[in-house]
Amino acid sequence: MPGYRPQPDRDSLGWWERVARRQFAVQECGACGTLRFPPRAFCAACRTEGWNWREVAPEGKVESWIVNRRPFVPGLGDPYLVVMVRLTPVPGCLMYGNWRAERPPEPGERVRGVFTQVDEALTVLDWMPESFIPARPAENPAAG
Amino acid sequence: MPKRLLEFRDRTAIAGVGYTPFSKDSGVSTLTLACRAVLAAVEDAGLSPGEVDGLATHRVGDSAPPTLVGPALGLGDLSWHLDQFGGGSVSHAVVGQAALAVAAGLAETVVCYRAINARSEFRMGGTGRGVPVSPEVQYQAPYGYVAPPQQFAMYARAHMLRYGTRAEHFGALAVIQRANAAKNPRALMRTPITLDDYLASRWIAEPFRLLDCCLETDGACAVVVTTAERARSLRRPPVLVSAAAWGGGTSHLSCDDPTVTGAAGLAPRLYAQAGLGPGDIDVAQLYDCFTYSVIVQLEDYGFCPKGEGGPYVASGATALDGELPVNTHGGFLSEGYVHGVNHIAEAVSQLRGEAGDRQVPGAEVALSTAQPGYVLPATSALILRRA
Ligand SMILES: [Zn+2]
Repeated sequence: MPGYRPQPDRDSLGWWERVARRQFAVQECGACGTLRFPPRAFCAACRTEGWNWREVAPEGKVESWIVNRRPFVPGLGDPYLVVMVRLTPVPGCLMYGNWRAERPPEPGERVRGVFTQVDEALTVLDWMPESFIPARPAENPAAG
Repeated sequence: MPKRLLEFRDRTAIAGVGYTPFSKDSGVSTLTLACRAVLAAVEDAGLSPGEVDGLATHRVGDSAPPTLVGPALGLGDLSWHLDQFGGGSVSHAVVGQAALAVAAGLAETVVCYRAINARSEFRMGGTGRGVPVSPEVQYQAPYGYVAPPQQFAMYARAHMLRYGTRAEHFGALAVIQRANAAKNPRALMRTPITLDDYLASRWIAEPFRLLDCCLETDGACAVVVTTAERARSLRRPPVLVSAAAWGGGTSHLSCDDPTVTGAAGLAPRLYAQAGLGPGDIDVAQLYDCFTYSVIVQLEDYGFCPKGEGGPYVASGATALDGELPVNTHGGFLSEGYVHGVNHIAEAVSQLRGEAGDRQVPGAEVALSTAQPGYVLPATSALILRRA
């Protein structure tokens, strides 16, 4: 896992580098302050180019989810659950991830991002219930 | 609406339709399929191939463009052509742009086609192709979230959570469309199904079962666009292009409400162009890559209130004898998947009164639509009218 690896481009490379360091950052427009994701040069609100990375809380709400009952990607377990999360710090923004809990999500449930180290070269952002308290620091719940 | 748009309404017409057989393995190239469908459409219109001066298609790197089809059919110097990159959301834009080219006088006879070996060669989001090329894919592919049934299932559940849409609503739609396909000799799947058959079909990506998903099909379909005036002198009853509209949609990474599609923004422009409203539509061919996409379009094109698409279908309103017959050919779910062009061709058959056992009596106005704007933020649609 995973069968498909992200291919960072000139817009997204900085984002993936931060994810690898377990930082959750989005872009903040230097002119109007609007936060945006995914990473790109222009602010859609004021159409200017200057920006900074801004660390924000990886928090959101469950908007939808699917339970994959066939292996759409080689190497993934069957079934596996993908969740669509409405990100709290960035209005209008949706993100995806595998679900890290042993029960299904609930509609509108509050969730927190959790970094999953896939292998030496790749770390991704997954989601787990906000209420999950790890037994040991940095422990992730099992994948759903 | 700008006044100059009125000059577009009913200026052009669809004068012919052509098909290859639909199958799971055509055994031939997409170039061959395209040539066969183009020639069949030209023959249907009563034209000779030498009179074709424009070709247009849409594709996702999986078929023959006009620059191959033109020379293959000896068409020489085409005065207009279009090779539109894109999936089902641009299927109706291609015919709309051909109509614009004809209305503007850039070409007189344009054949719009789609050839596809979607089962035996290039399966959508499955084997036979890599990850789509959009840079946004990097934020979903690592999670094993790549294929259209997954993405539409995600939106379907959002609709279920928000409006109480249920599996039985999706199932009712699948049952109705199969009943239509049973009356369509071209359809790949003609054995009637019940709601129990639907509920028993295997899971693909919950909430979608196998019978929520369109067929993967090899085949081609084409339509001939020319001026309304010329169409009147040809072999077949002309079907006028009353309106063609383009719209946006939702990026899968930013969208305030995933239960509303780009069709909701496009619909008022489309109806205004035609000078018609939802109540004037006699038959609708709505893009059905999955059951859910029809339900959300019934809402966004104004046939029922927001959130009531599921109960509307379950009431029988979209059956052949209902108030708005939908996907009378069986759609992608049961006739075959030719990426939108077979919906346009079926609308033409209905308006000509040539749809046989599945004919909607007295059909004069048809709506035909593209993928409503999920995933790729674009959509398109046509209103067609019997001359
Ligand atoms: Zn800005």
